[in-house]
Amino acid sequence: MECKVCRKQAERLGYCKLHAEAYQSIIENYSVWKKALGVSWKEYLSEVIKNSLTGEWAKEVAEHLAKEGDKNNVKIY
Amino acid sequence: MSCQGKTTICEYRAAGKTQIATSRYVELPMQKYTLVITEKPDAARRIAVALDRNHKPAKMSLSGVPYYAAQRDRRIVVVPALGHLYTVVGETNKRDFYPVFSFKWMPRFMAERGAARIRIWLDSISRLAKGADSFVDACDYDVEGSIIGYSIMRYACGNKEHLSKRMKYSTLTEEELEKSYAELLPNLDFGQVEAGKARHEVDWLFGINISRALTIAARNVSGRYEMLSTGRVQGPVLMFLGAREASIKCFVPTPYWEMRARVEINGRTYEVEHERTIETKKEAETLFNECLKKTGCVEKVASAEYLQSPPFPFDLGTLQNEAYRLFRYTPKRTMDIAQRLYLDALISYPRTSSQKLPPTINYRAILLNLNRFQSYKSLTAELLALPDLKPREGAKDDPAHPAIYPTGRMPERTLTMSEEKVLDLVIRRFMAIFSLPAVIQIMKARIKVGSHMFQLTGRKTLTAGWQKFYKPYVHTEEVLLPPLHEEEKVKVRKVLMLAKFTQPPNRYNPASLLRKMEEVNIGTKSTRAEILQILYDRKYVKNERIEMTDLGFEVLETLKDYCPAIVSVKLTRELEEKMESIQAGRETRENVLEDAVNVLKPALEQLRINEKSVGERLSSTTVKAKLEEKIVGSCPTCKTGRLIILRSKKTGKQFIGCSNYFKGRCNTSFALPQKSHVSATGKKCKCCGWPTVQVRARGKHMWELCFNAECPAKKRRKQVGMQGVPQTG
Repeated sequence: MECKVCRKQAERLGYCKLHAEAYQSIIENYSVWKKALGVSWKEYLSEVIKNSLTGEWAKEVAEHLAKEGDKNNVKIY
Repeated sequence: MSCQGKTTICEYRAAGKTQIATSRYVELPMQKYTLVITEKPDAARRIAVALDRNHKPAKMSLSGVPYYAAQRDRRIVVVPALGHLYTVVGETNKRDFYPVFSFKWMPRFMAERGAARIRIWLDSISRLAKGADSFVDACDYDVEGSIIGYSIMRYACGNKEHLSKRMKYSTLTEEELEKSYAELLPNLDFGQVEAGKARHEVDWLFGINISRALTIAARNVSGRYEMLSTGRVQGPVLMFLGAREASIKCFVPTPYWEMRARVEINGRTYEVEHERTIETKKEAETLFNECLKKTGCVEKVASAEYLQSPPFPFDLGTLQNEAYRLFRYTPKRTMDIAQRLYLDALISYPRTSSQKLPPTINYRAILLNLNRFQSYKSLTAELLALPDLKPREGAKDDPAHPAIYPTGRMPERTLTMSEEKVLDLVIRRFMAIFSLPAVIQIMKARIKVGSHMFQLTGRKTLTAGWQKFYKPYVHTEEVLLPPLHEEEKVKVRKVLMLAKFTQPPNRYNPASLLRKMEEVNIGTKSTRAEILQILYDRKYVKNERIEMTDLGFEVLETLKDYCPAIVSVKLTRELEEKMESIQAGRETRENVLEDAVNVLKPALEQLRINEKSVGERLSSTTVKAKLEEKIVGSCPTCKTGRLIILRSKKTGKQFIGCSNYFKGRCNTSFALPQKSHVSATGKKCKCCGWPTVQVRARGKHMWELCFNAECPAKKRRKQVGMQGVPQTG
């Protein structure tokens, strides 16, 4: 299976090793954002994408998750 | 007397016409002499000057190799090496296979391209050795110096390693060199020699085998040769660079808030900080509202004094760190500058791990010498007035050399700006270590605004102590507070609610990476700076704030997946410790080599078994990396394409074209200078903002080119050319 972001070999959760780490970081930090600002998952992703401090891989995964959410109309959290 | 000995007479006579009194040296080969080998030509000159009884040795030349003839109680010939003249090579010349575990020591000219001069050098040393009856190794007293001296004594001088004596010195001043020659060590330091041999051999085994395995795997897939390398220390360094890079690239910032207030005390405004950070916006807003229009009240005032001890003397690592902090010099640059200052006898031997200065270096004499310099006159006078000079020392020690210290000698030539800066830094540090601690007062006031506690912190230097000697290299921010009393009311002028985000970890810079390597004990003080340079040269990392490239990541991930031992910090450190034990006589070179082969064998086997997948991963990344190198920037015409350095298949000429050309969307192109190497700089033209390229042509200086024909700078230059009058603006 290919990584959903970079098409390298996927290792877990449909991501390669490096993007899986970024995915993990996005998931873990949502609770902090939710508590701090009361944002929804979608708002969170959009904030993370536009923040200049977000790491390159985290941004790529966030962009992918945002698109995936729109496409499938998936509601996470 | 051999034929070569006679040639020496001729050479002496020939040189004597211009350089020396013929009567002194014409009969030289009749009488045997002492042959002194040094590491570098500059050191040879200084040693010859120190050893000659009139301090005027004759400079001679043999087939273009300089050497010096000095007269002391007997005749002395001082000949320099050019650093390492011998190196480790494989037993066979085949380059296309691995593993390779058999090797030998050979002259460098037989193993490296562009080292032809070494042949003449070695030949000349061999010829001079034939006229000598005693031998002295005067190379730098460390592992590398010992192996340089040993290999010359053994191979070039014909097995004289057990007859040779050893000079041990830490500065190239005449007094120390004369003392060192008078008190020669009876033997070479074979512990250091064995440790040096082991280090070179182990490094060769790792470098050649892993690099070949990676290169061959990539070539077998892509059909193109692209050098991919890693070494014993490079692997672990990539490992912690990779870990840092991954944590930056996976970083997700989280919000928090800081609350500050501007309070007025005695007519002046001070900024006070809330005692903790706030995690939610709601809480921050509540706090903000509660503090508005409130008066502050000083709850508690406390002050404390503490002593700030002088810094330790410089070892190489701390000098490199400090030079980076203050002047932004890379560790390699600082090392090179320090080496030049050492060869000019201005500072002591810089490749030292010691933070100790023994009294034998004679502190008072050095300070007296420094007292002759106008800029240090008053400071040294103050230290010289002290009844007892006692330096502050660090824990690190080096049995071979003391910490870095100035000799106090006047420079014999005009120093470059960077040399002056490093010398001044060493001198001021040396003075600072004899001084008293600085006394600092910290004052803290807790101010209650509404029901919330804010803090005001002040800092005042009561006694400058050593800081006075280390100026301008020490910077302390003084925050002077007014006298405050408990229960005192203060006016709150403004309340500030600052929304902030957590920051990603800092990237390593050359100095912090060096510190990390030192901390985990991998590499040596002399090689650490070079290892970083190799990573840059191989394009595994880029930029001053070290950023790992895709290629660096792929090499690291490949090694982690198939041979984790190669990038293991623990294994590398263990090997390092064993090599250090050789020097102390607790371990043998053979055992260490065997350990290295035992680590390598399974790793290489794994790389061989997985050669295809390793090759696929690496070749696709190298192709991508090559393409990235060619990308100059985004296309200013179509805005969506990327400008790439291309070569026309038809004419063979290089030019810059838009990537959208291949899709038939944009035909923007720019001419480039031919017969030159053009590469992207990643920088923009200061005048027009277009991307620039770097042009390197044979026999010309490298230059940066803005390829925008409409660039205002170009127009201005044209106008100047036409009018013949320079214009301003």
